[in-house]
Amino acid sequence: MSESRETLPAHRAWMTVAQKVGTPIASVILAIGIGSVIMWASGYDPVAAFAALFKGSFGGPKQIGDTLLRSTPLILTGLSVAYGFRAGLFNIGAEGQLFMGGLVVAWLGVALTGLPWVVMVPLLVVAAMLAGAAWAFVPAILKARIGAHEVITTMMFTYIGRYIVSWLVVGPLKAPGQIPQTDALPIGSQLPRIQTLFSEATLEALPFLKLGRAHLGIVVAVIAALVVWFILKYTTLGYENRAVGFNPWASETGGISVQWTTVKALCISGALAGLAGAVEVMGVHHRIFDQFSSGFGFTGIAVALLAKNHPLGVIPAAILFGALSAGAGTMQLEAHVPQKIILIIQALVIFLVAAEEIVTWFIKRRQKEALSHVG
Amino acid sequence: MLGSIITPDLFAAALRMATPLALAAIGGTICERSGVVNIALEGIMLTGAFFGTVVALATGNPWLGVIAAMVSGVIVSAIHAFASINLRADQVVSGTAINILALGVTGFMMERLYGHPGTTDPSAMLRPVFKFAMADGGFLGTIWNWINGIFLSHTPIVYMAIIIAIVAQWAMYKTRWGLHLRALGEHPRAVDTVGVNVFRGRWVAVLISGALAGLAGANLTLEQVGSFTENMTNGRGFIALAANIFGRWTPVGSYLASLLFGFADALQIKLQIFRGQIDIPPQFFLMLPYVLTVVVLAGVVGRAVAPAAIGKPYEKE
Repeated sequence: MSESRETLPAHRAWMTVAQKVGTPIASVILAIGIGSVIMWASGYDPVAAFAALFKGSFGGPKQIGDTLLRSTPLILTGLSVAYGFRAGLFNIGAEGQLFMGGLVVAWLGVALTGLPWVVMVPLLVVAAMLAGAAWAFVPAILKARIGAHEVITTMMFTYIGRYIVSWLVVGPLKAPGQIPQTDALPIGSQLPRIQTLFSEATLEALPFLKLGRAHLGIVVAVIAALVVWFILKYTTLGYENRAVGFNPWASETGGISVQWTTVKALCISGALAGLAGAVEVMGVHHRIFDQFSSGFGFTGIAVALLAKNHPLGVIPAAILFGALSAGAGTMQLEAHVPQKIILIIQALVIFLVAAEEIVTWFIKRRQKEALSHVG
Repeated sequence: MLGSIITPDLFAAALRMATPLALAAIGGTICERSGVVNIALEGIMLTGAFFGTVVALATGNPWLGVIAAMVSGVIVSAIHAFASINLRADQVVSGTAINILALGVTGFMMERLYGHPGTTDPSAMLRPVFKFAMADGGFLGTIWNWINGIFLSHTPIVYMAIIIAIVAQWAMYKTRWGLHLRALGEHPRAVDTVGVNVFRGRWVAVLISGALAGLAGANLTLEQVGSFTENMTNGRGFIALAANIFGRWTPVGSYLASLLFGFADALQIKLQIFRGQIDIPPQFFLMLPYVLTVVVLAGVVGRAVAPAAIGKPYEKE
């Protein structure tokens, strides 16, 4: 009797976790299944394709490094979108805020050359977050004051931001030479690669640390996830954010300013996307150019939804999409499947998570089948 | 300088540029009036643009391309209808998924069919409907040239958009269907009570919006550009949504709002000719339509009232 009493709560807690994680995992499996059917119907070999994709994303330390490299900005854009969703806001324009964050880093990182690393890096991080927040500010105000839909306004600001960057990299911020890009960041403004932190001897002894291009940004991203999780769970700021997302009318009645919370939520969301731009510039490209982001802001939507807007769930979700993106090149090279299939799988995941009923129906049917086998 | 900007072809270009926006915006109006948000216009337009070109390339007949564009638009919108009406998924999220899906499917199929990413070969295009001679000189001649240049120089879908705007306006306000449509977006329970099938009404509205957004895509590839480029819609679906709001959820209003955006687009292209003389980077012209969209939304949204039941899935009792 006493034994079951002790095990029951733990069992229950485990069940709820399993339920929460079950649908997203089933969605991913189903999406990959549908993606395979599409490949097969188009005359490609899905088994070879996914084998190549896996090889390109987890095949060795260098490939794992590539997966981490791509997951890093996705964790941050995923957090950005998730934080907005938690307040009932859809920040579809994380891409534009990411561009502004990256732009400010590419500019200040060069302009302030000479500052010590310990000062420079935090400074750039804060500047990028402010830039991202600033880029979300007008849509935030418009949403709070007159209800202009943030999906349209943040999207428009994405186009505007991208044109500003594409002007600056051919104009005022252009580095000497033919290529439209800014000057390279000095070492003092860069996030170093993880493998450079270890000595040759250590790397020889522990070869799994040879993570190739993966950089310290992943640490920044994980810390950001923990901070957002803490904010949402334990602070008044996070409580108000969730309350407004859950029921704005009740929140207003309860004394929370919906307008002010909306502005804060979109700006924090923008700051996180700006941070994604910062790590991408400081850790990967060391400069900004037109195509420096491969749609990380948009993939962040899929990341957030797959994570069910949970800040810690964002990490595995980002690693999944990071892996898909890291392995896509190998897949195209070895199995000749166009990389765009990754976008199709991404869209399918969003669909299946959003239309949860399909997946729960699927799971229930499987459970019924399993039960009938038992019976 | 002003004389070389304000010419008949500036206004003709405005009509041309307004056409894809207007078709998508009218589609958005019909869809949203039934209570379903359609963020997917962008993706549906892209899909229509792609399949229009694919079929026009394969058959050499641009009209078959137009049909393919509309059919593909209907198919894609059916996914949105199923997800948001039957499965009660979040409509904005479902629309976003479709936009990403459209990017993926068009890019994937482009490489599958033509072996390369980027832009397709040029396809057969729709020709202008009329071909009148220009008059030479005289007051009346100048007037004729202006009328001819602005209104009589266009391809078929440009005229179809104007007709569709008027017909949709009439249907929305003068027919039973229109009455039911508007009620679906305001008070679906009431419509259900009088025996109209809410799901079916919304399905029809979403499919119509798909056909119109597909036609918008056909206009882009088969009338304006002549080939398909990946992601060529460039946010037009979102601008169309703004035009629909600016037009206060009415078809003719959507058309007129699109005309404003079309004019801004035509003007920015025209002004780029003067790049040598005025020292303004081209990117500032290119951002004009997007800036204008934000400004218009900022100025109008507070006063424009959306359908009451918009975005809310309907559940039968």
